[in-house]
Amino acid sequence: MDRAETGVDARTRRGTGGMPLAMLLLPALAVTVLLFGGGLALGVLQALGYLPGAGLTRLTGAHFIRVLSDPDFFLSFGITLYVSVVSTLLAAGISVIAALVLDRLAGQYRPVHFIFQLPLTVPHLVIAVAVMFLLAPAGLLARIAVAVGLIQTPAEFPLLVNDRWSVGIILTYVWKEIPFITLMLLAVLRNTGRDLIDVGRTLKASAWQRFRHITLPTLFPALGAASLIVFAYTFGAFEVPYLLGRTHPMTLPVRAYKDYSDIDLMARPEGIATGLLIALVVAAAVVIAQALTRAARRRGIVI
Amino acid sequence: MGSLVLKDLAIHYDRQVVVEDFNLAIGEGEMAALLGPSGAGKTTILKAVAGLLAPTRGDILIDGRAVNTLPPEKRDVVMVFQKPLLFPFMNVAQNIAFGLKMRGDGSERRRTAVSRILELTRLEGLGGRKVHALSGGQQQRVALARALVLEPAVLLMDEPLSNLDANLRQEMRELILSIQSELKITTLFVTHDQSEALMMAQRLALLLGGRLRQAGTPQDLFHRPADPEVARFFGGGNFFKGRLQGGVFECALGRLPVSAASGNGHVRTATIRPEDIQLTLDAAGRPGGLAGRVVRTRFEGTATRAWIECDVHEVMVLTAAGELTLGQEVRLHFPPEKIRVFPEDKASE
Repeated sequence: MDRAETGVDARTRRGTGGMPLAMLLLPALAVTVLLFGGGLALGVLQALGYLPGAGLTRLTGAHFIRVLSDPDFFLSFGITLYVSVVSTLLAAGISVIAALVLDRLAGQYRPVHFIFQLPLTVPHLVIAVAVMFLLAPAGLLARIAVAVGLIQTPAEFPLLVNDRWSVGIILTYVWKEIPFITLMLLAVLRNTGRDLIDVGRTLKASAWQRFRHITLPTLFPALGAASLIVFAYTFGAFEVPYLLGRTHPMTLPVRAYKDYSDIDLMARPEGIATGLLIALVVAAAVVIAQALTRAARRRGIVI
Repeated sequence: MGSLVLKDLAIHYDRQVVVEDFNLAIGEGEMAALLGPSGAGKTTILKAVAGLLAPTRGDILIDGRAVNTLPPEKRDVVMVFQKPLLFPFMNVAQNIAFGLKMRGDGSERRRTAVSRILELTRLEGLGGRKVHALSGGQQQRVALARALVLEPAVLLMDEPLSNLDANLRQEMRELILSIQSELKITTLFVTHDQSEALMMAQRLALLLGGRLRQAGTPQDLFHRPADPEVARFFGGGNFFKGRLQGGVFECALGRLPVSAASGNGHVRTATIRPEDIQLTLDAAGRPGGLAGRVVRTRFEGTATRAWIECDVHEVMVLTAAGELTLGQEVRLHFPPEKIRVFPEDKASE
């Protein structure tokens, strides 16, 4: 047995046909390293001020310092964090309820499950445009409100797009991310959760106790991982806040894009420096999500 | 401790009949086994008793009180599942204390109860360990401890040993038996393993195709099966059709004296267990019996299973006699008291 296992391990390390595993992975690795690593390296160089086209060749951390010392950066950071955290929390909360309901209903009403997956196929940009048509002062809801006599003119409709509280952005993200988180939670509920709930029932746990002491802890790693992925996406996404956000303060990705595409080439390093800071936050979220997933798998929870 | 009575129980899934007309009574402190092949409806019955699914008809009575309408958490029943199903986010002690906590027992009481049950299930020193760091046998013991700590009126176990290897299974059997005899908790366990059921249960119910075929002591079912199917389930392999009259069963093998004196000459089915047939190697050694020839053998460790061709009929024998060779001439003797003639209405063969 030991020998057999050792043999399998050795084969896995060597790859098939005696070729080292690294060699087999090389084509895929080369593309990833070249495209992603190359772009990242170029970005870092430009953020450090290496921009020969604009006559800048000296490496410096001044652009990072300038970005971080700009009070507007922190306003942008704040609004980005606010949008990401609120939309993630709302999506996560609704997803827990949706997963529990779908877990009960899916057997009887399969179409519900299918309909629930539809938003996954729609691009964020399309949803952002739909939200714009729906919530804008001259949008569908405003017209309906006028038609039913709730308000006199569309202008009286509350500002929900390009607004102070980023309602439009948050709604777009919540609508789009709920199916993603829900499907991850459903997988856990189906693979592990139902049996544990049955155990809880025979161990005298009431419905609330089962939710509090079994369902939530079982879902937590998947919920945490999915939420962190959603957070990472919403923190770094550009198109939705660009379309539905305010011009000031703008979210970090919009700010990075504006700086990068500024007519003044000297603003480009700051745009890239902002982008790299966003990437840092996103990477941290992804690493934590991975750690949560691994920890859950170690404990026998299937995600 | 409590009694469990299942009365005219029927369980249907959609329109499919899973269990029908099931009746079983288990006395206080008794250890009973629900035995049957996979898909016979054993787990379904257990889940109905636990309250995890509702029976279509019939009554479930615990200590004489119908519990059909009570949710699982309100029944004085705890179930140990086939897989340990421990809560992965809790350590061993927290898993065991779960039911006590849900019931509202105080922390001091929980600590005392957990420590006692850890000792009883031979898990001392493992209370603080994460459950994924335990072996399969230890995990199943934690699942058992988690159920026992609640001291339920009825303990249900759904094939709790099926995921364990042979040695560990034997160890767990002994542990369950010793705990059961100490705590005297009325226990109903499900198994498809007839030797496990015979070894552990004081009372046995055989379920075939969703219906109770026979209930009684392990000896009843093993030595006095109600019909050929029950006999076949317990390893019976020799079935002969014939007529019983005047203490003789007349079949294709010849006239076999039997201890069953009654009989009106109607066609009946008789059986004899393979190990009850006496085989003599030397055809000339012992007079009488049925002459035959070895056509197939299978070594099974403590005994050898052999198929003996007697005229045109094959008889299966389990014998501890020395090595048998193919084509060897042997004689078979059928002790009359070991031949079981099934009642007429059950003779489906």
